[in-house]
Amino acid sequence: MRTRVALVAVGTLLIGYAVVGALADPDLRPAGVLLFLAGVLAGHDLVWMAGLLGVGALLARWVPQRHRPVVRAGVISAATVTVVAFPLVLGVGRPPDDPSVLPLPYGRNLAVVLLLIAVATLLTCWAADRRRSRRPAPDGPDGPTAPVSPSPPRR
Amino acid sequence: MVRHPHPPVTGRPAALRRLARRWSAPLPAPPGALRRGPLRPDGFPSPLRSTRLTSQLGVALGVAFAVCFLTGLLSHLIQHPPGWLPWPSRPVGLYRFTQGLHVATGLATVPLLGAKLWSVYHHLFRWPPVRSLAHALERASVAVLVAAALFQVIGGVLNVARWYAPMPFFFTAGHYRVAWLSVGALLVHVGVQLPAVRAALGPTTAESARERLSRRGLLGGIAAAAGLVTLTTVGQTVRPLSALAVLAPRRPDVGPQGLPVNKTAHRAGVRAQALDPAYRLVVEGPHRRTELDLAALRALPQHTAELPIACVEGWSATGRWTGVRLRDLVALVGVDPDRATVLVESLETAGRYRTSTVGAAHVRDPLTLIALRLGGAPLHPDHGYPARLIAPNRPGVLQTKWVGRLTVREAS
Repeated sequence: MRTRVALVAVGTLLIGYAVVGALADPDLRPAGVLLFLAGVLAGHDLVWMAGLLGVGALLARWVPQRHRPVVRAGVISAATVTVVAFPLVLGVGRPPDDPSVLPLPYGRNLAVVLLLIAVATLLTCWAADRRRSRRPAPDGPDGPTAPVSPSPPRR
Repeated sequence: MVRHPHPPVTGRPAALRRLARRWSAPLPAPPGALRRGPLRPDGFPSPLRSTRLTSQLGVALGVAFAVCFLTGLLSHLIQHPPGWLPWPSRPVGLYRFTQGLHVATGLATVPLLGAKLWSVYHHLFRWPPVRSLAHALERASVAVLVAAALFQVIGGVLNVARWYAPMPFFFTAGHYRVAWLSVGALLVHVGVQLPAVRAALGPTTAESARERLSRRGLLGGIAAAAGLVTLTTVGQTVRPLSALAVLAPRRPDVGPQGLPVNKTAHRAGVRAQALDPAYRLVVEGPHRRTELDLAALRALPQHTAELPIACVEGWSATGRWTGVRLRDLVALVGVDPDRATVLVESLETAGRYRTSTVGAAHVRDPLTLIALRLGGAPLHPDHGYPARLIAPNRPGVLQTKWVGRLTVREAS
């Protein structure tokens, strides 16, 4: 309990330090910071999460249970590189007089990386199916006796 | 006046007890008819969500945030040196490593943070929304933590892509202040959740073999995503991987003279002054002052050093710089170079990084140069022609370009 109280107390002090520091910082417009804080929170919780849950529902509807971990890994990787590369693809930060900033064709590169992720995902699923079909049928819901058709939606 | 015959020796005063009671007193629940959509009891049926998964992601995210906070704080302190931090000039590539780690860790945090927030998203719609005042405050602190974490990670991604328009504040200052906010909110969160985390990470029997496999599969997927984003970006500072850095905002070998540029001479507004044949480097000491034109600078003993430009944005690139040792210039105005600091001023008339101070350790270091050449050729105007500062173990923004004036001070 003492550890918890100490953590909460120190954390509260640091939050206070951050707020006081931000208000006293001549380089900072606290209103702008607040706006961005609220913007990323609302954007994530209302827009991004809605999209993500939609993708999750599609996976649950269309991808057989046995392939879901691999497909999920592929989708997480694809989402991650898309988030990181999105501002580069837009290229807004590329100044006209400095070709060393954002020097690559990011749209093409992102497409290639996404394609590689898709190929790796499909190959892994295919290899797993091949292994499974060669093996004698084990007991369990993931074995070849399990239905191959998409499982019912979970949400 | 009646005095209490037996005042309590221990225990909290009545007022505090009343406050504590009110603090955790249950608040009336909203009408059940409002419990619709995501607020339904079965609104989030994914069996993948579990306290154990959330706790494991939380621990990983905590480590990532600690790395980013410490490396970021270090970078801040190097740029705003307090008296108690004597930042050394060696090892030469220390800052290159810490700042490269800062940005690489931040980028690898993207899937971690995404997965962590997904794993707790259903708590946003818990019922009743607020049980007590204490509960309301706890939820508010989680909102602060989530907003601050997203602020740092998204802001960082926008910053390395140099897309500042969505951020209505000066990025560096905002990133620094919100770092404190996120770490404070994180500590509060850990304090509140510690028992749940301990229980979830202890030996558990509640998880079936299948659930364990699913959880591990998901963790493997998140790790793969973090690995992939690292692999496609870290080559901007780890040279052997530069060919794989297809999503990195910089390539260490792309730019004039094979080196990236952060601010061009044109944008700094110094092109005319930098190319002016009347250029003089003014070296001002406490007792003596001298002016050197390019020919005079070239006539001084020339030295060559392999030193990196290590940008706060996480990229770095090594150059072979040739020029005059800063300590030789300090000695020129009669100051002991082993006990001196130098204020370096650019020809720029304005700008946040127009000047920088070189501390005693860096002045002393024979690798610290006022460079005139890069890779054997005169500096490109965008690399600071006619003369620039290049010192070991120092952020790129402090490697002042287009140097016009050195003010030498005796270190106390």
